Amino acid sequence: MSSLSYAAPATVDEAIGLLAGASGLAKVLSGGTDLLVQLRSGRTRPALIVDTKKIPGIIGIREVDGGFVIGAATSGAMIGEHAALAAVYPGVVEATNLIGSTQVQGRASLAGNLCNASPAADSVPAMIAAGATAVIAGPKGRRTVPVEQVVTGPGRTSLARDEFIVEFHLPKRAPRSADAYLRFIPRTEMDIAVVGAGVNVTLDAAGVCTAARVSLGAVAPTALLVADCAAALVGSKLDEHALAKLDLAARDACKPIDDKRGTIDFRIKVAGVLARRAAAIAFERAAARS
Amino acid sequence: MTLRLRLNGRPVQAQADPAMRLSDLLRDVLGLTGTKIGCNAGDCGACTVLLDGRQVCACLVPAARAEGCDIRTVEGLAEGGALNALQAAFLRHGAAQCGICTPGMLMAATDLLARLPTPTEAQVQDALGGVLCRCTGYRKIIDAVLDVAGPSPPVAGAMGARLPKVDGPAKLTGAERFGADALPDEAFLTIRAIRSPHAHARFTLGDFAPLLAAHPGLLRVLTAADLPGARVFGIYPTGKDQPVLADGLVRHRGEPVCALLGDAATLAGIPEGDVPVAWEPLPEVTFAAGGPDLHAHAPGNVLCRGLVARGDPATGFAAAAARADIATATGFVEHAYIEPEAGYARRVGDGMEVVACTQTPYMDRDEIALILGIPPERVRVIPTAVGGGFGGKLDLSIQPLACVAAWLTLRPVRMVYGRGESMAASTKRHPARIAAAAAADAGGRLTAFTFHGDFDTGAYASWGPTVANRVPVHAMGPYAVPHVRCTTAALHTNGPPAGAFRGFGVPQAAIAGEALMDMLAAQLGLDPWDIRRINALGEGSTTATGQMLGAGAALPECLDAIRPRWQALRQEASDFNRQAGVLRRGAGLACMWYGIGNTSMSNPSEMVIGIGADGRCTLFSGAVDIGQGSNTIMVQIAAEALGVPPEALNLVSGDTKTTRDAGKTSASRQSFVSGNAARLAGAALRAEILRRANAGPEAMIMLHDGRISVVSGDAATILDPAAMAPDAEGLVLRGEGRFDPPTTALDAHGQGIPYACYAFAAQAALVEVDTALGTVRVLRIVAAHDVGRAVNPTLVEGQIHGGIAQGLGLALMEEYLPGRTDNLHDYLIPTIGDVPEIETILVERPDPLGPYGAKGVGEPALVATAPAILNAIADAIGARLTRVPATPDRVLAALAR
Repeated sequence: MSSLSYAAPATVDEAIGLLAGASGLAKVLSGGTDLLVQLRSGRTRPALIVDTKKIPGIIGIREVDGGFVIGAATSGAMIGEHAALAAVYPGVVEATNLIGSTQVQGRASLAGNLCNASPAADSVPAMIAAGATAVIAGPKGRRTVPVEQVVTGPGRTSLARDEFIVEFHLPKRAPRSADAYLRFIPRTEMDIAVVGAGVNVTLDAAGVCTAARVSLGAVAPTALLVADCAAALVGSKLDEHALAKLDLAARDACKPIDDKRGTIDFRIKVAGVLARRAAAIAFERAAARS
Repeated sequence: MTLRLRLNGRPVQAQADPAMRLSDLLRDVLGLTGTKIGCNAGDCGACTVLLDGRQVCACLVPAARAEGCDIRTVEGLAEGGALNALQAAFLRHGAAQCGICTPGMLMAATDLLARLPTPTEAQVQDALGGVLCRCTGYRKIIDAVLDVAGPSPPVAGAMGARLPKVDGPAKLTGAERFGADALPDEAFLTIRAIRSPHAHARFTLGDFAPLLAAHPGLLRVLTAADLPGARVFGIYPTGKDQPVLADGLVRHRGEPVCALLGDAATLAGIPEGDVPVAWEPLPEVTFAAGGPDLHAHAPGNVLCRGLVARGDPATGFAAAAARADIATATGFVEHAYIEPEAGYARRVGDGMEVVACTQTPYMDRDEIALILGIPPERVRVIPTAVGGGFGGKLDLSIQPLACVAAWLTLRPVRMVYGRGESMAASTKRHPARIAAAAAADAGGRLTAFTFHGDFDTGAYASWGPTVANRVPVHAMGPYAVPHVRCTTAALHTNGPPAGAFRGFGVPQAAIAGEALMDMLAAQLGLDPWDIRRINALGEGSTTATGQMLGAGAALPECLDAIRPRWQALRQEASDFNRQAGVLRRGAGLACMWYGIGNTSMSNPSEMVIGIGADGRCTLFSGAVDIGQGSNTIMVQIAAEALGVPPEALNLVSGDTKTTRDAGKTSASRQSFVSGNAARLAGAALRAEILRRANAGPEAMIMLHDGRISVVSGDAATILDPAAMAPDAEGLVLRGEGRFDPPTTALDAHGQGIPYACYAFAAQAALVEVDTALGTVRVLRIVAAHDVGRAVNPTLVEGQIHGGIAQGLGLALMEEYLPGRTDNLHDYLIPTIGDVPEIETILVERPDPLGPYGAKGVGEPALVATAPAILNAIADAIGARLTRVPATPDRVLAALAR
């Protein structure tokens, strides 16, 4: 551990400079709930830890142009306590509040949950369904990418070594829009998703779905944005026919692993059931927001 | 870096590596060991502290992040030296059992109460959901937080009083010393075992010289060649087979092959791959497929067999109106005490002193003596507080390597298991593969029962023979059956050594037996309650070992007590199921019996109580309290016998030098066996005082101001201890007690008196099954327990709650898979949200042999829970699960059949 150095830069540029100039592996410290465990178990042996928490704006939630900007290191607890965000994006908030225990909630961040790149991260399918984008800072300035393009595989992201996420954007909502996230775990709390399903819908005045995004977690190497699931919902009032199409599309999209938490067949079946249930909640919430 | 922070209201400054965990900073740098480490991964919450007022896992906070922050730990809760309201509520409700999760629970609750002074139960569950407890079943913790503002009424009397735990305050302030908190004053070495990643392999150790040269802080490497005495250890005198360090061959994952000795930082920095071990993996002997013999003394890999046979089952089956058959399977279950094994050893002259968490100091002493090749008198075992045991700390853990290292280097040596090491190296509950059948006549009376259970005892014997012997006695359940044949075999595999775990195989057997009772009832059109009541063992019944039961056998009373609750749960389930939907409810009932103490073996306890020249009265108890409360129970019983209030007694506990052997804290024996010894000791001291005062048996004894007053009618006699001659142990008056439960050996057919006392219980469960997802939620448990006499009802209820939580885990979520679940996020134990409301009914029909009628409850609490839940699932979905845990995928598969 003696070779490990630690820095807490005060600006984005300083942080980029540190990441770019590091002699060995450099890791960004956000909430620390994954990094510290990996560090101590020897799973990662960085030469430098860049603590981002002193960077202005990296923590906090702002309403901008009718949407929301969430600082990358904002804790799950802060997100859970933001009443306006919870009213507009209840699915994102409920997903974020499923990450770990209350203690972990106080530390864990959206950027950490995303960049840890676990297929089972709870906030990720909800963010994808919500149409969230990530603002990534690097030596060449900032770029904005959809959340579904950040993770490329288990433990891998599309970020360069001198880049890091500074904030997330959640777009302005059309009327009668809402989202929902459900996950399946064998016990009541503090577990890793066996399947996660995020559904985000917009309804017209008659209650017919005009736009939808559906994302599934823990059923493939990365969280999936499933266009066929969305297509099953658009044009429907969520009748049994639409639910059956959604269920089938969700099951078709799954490429899960077989492990102690659930067999392949079980995960596929649960993905269909959760997609149905999350869609029902999202429709109900959207209808209530007219 | 230099850190400045506020700690419990005071500014402090410390030097620390920025990436050091806050938990290590608090414990190792700042010396506050009240914050506990259970997993170092944010899974257990034992290290929860407040950072700027919010609960965090200190193990997940880098020290650099604490800079400038306000940190509050358990040591900062007490106000002016007195427990604060929350701590007092925990004490009053018995919310701390072993106490290892208590600091985390208290800090999480402090965070909650600061924001919500009068929370709801759901808010308490939500706020405390990140702290795992393995002892309490969480219910009394919830009660304590909800009642934080309640009064603490005075408690009067000894027997039957809801006396707060005598060691409670230490557990609530962070003052209690557990295995990892006890540190020698001198500079000490740390030991790190290198363990096998293979289930079965040959290995050769390479040249350690380059490793030693590369790491100046690495003092030496211990191998099998360094062992001074016995190279193998084990529970049974004739079955010592487990190597202290493997010698060229490993038989399970996690077996130690060598041990690094040096300073902690050096050892932590040595990558496992740098230790020169060359492996040659061998085919794995499994429970499913068997394989070549692992031990020369166990042909066919059969460690031992058990048998109880009575009557002729063929006759019983032929005469029956109904017959049911079942095959069940269970897996390895991990004890998952929140305290990983820890302690230290040091050489004192020509002897060895070991300070560590253990359930059995005297057995440890004798085993360590063999390993060091010295007489037992030269080994002193000083147990620390035990952060949960459940049978897992009946086997040696850190002791052999720490003792050998301390013996060879003449320096104190500390060893603290991490969570992964604890799970990989410790024993497990035996997996079982059971085939059983039962038959009954048209009236529901049992006519025959047959049972064969194979038990996977893993690589080494450990407590395998205990399981093989105990199960056949209990397998038919607490019912009178004329024709019985129960057989068992303990089979070696390359699994982890299976040892003692709350129930010694009886919980696995009860899953099969209680399913059969429901299956017979269904065939005969009987209510599950009726078939159990018809066959229940009671006073005057004869067991399958030919033992006539006495007045203490109270299963009929338990069943009668639970009957209205059972009928209400049945009604609630059927009312709910009238509505359509994917949710189905079911009610399940199960009974159990459990022999208290060792099976057909002498297992005496001895206690000493005495008064010193200063007039202080002390109970010297060798019974180790592992959280269940035996420290308090022994004091209550001894005080009752002596005729003084419990507060008049001091307690010296556990140490093999200062206390007598009170046997193991296992087999639910401490209240019954050691409790009797405490009663006899108290009575002997009373008799001695009355003799000296020439007073009659009705006289009152009062201890005050260093003197003893003996009051009889109007006459009072004052005895002055200061004027009496102290004996070699400094006592001027003493009483001694010894109790060994009267049992007989079992003959070739398993006939005899295996136990002097049995505990009985009936439990009912209400569950809700999501038939689309396969999830099972337990909504309520009602538990009627025959406890003889509740010495302390609060502690008895706590045992029942905790046993039920572990039974729920066994039924629904727990299965240890070697190498795949060595942490507390892949190995799931029930959280605060998983344990439902529990109603306990204490049936008090005094046992003729128990101290004031008391009997044990530790293991009985667990046995009936899993069968009751499984019967409830079958009632809900109409399909029976025969393999536990009943995970959602298995529930869905059962539904699809």
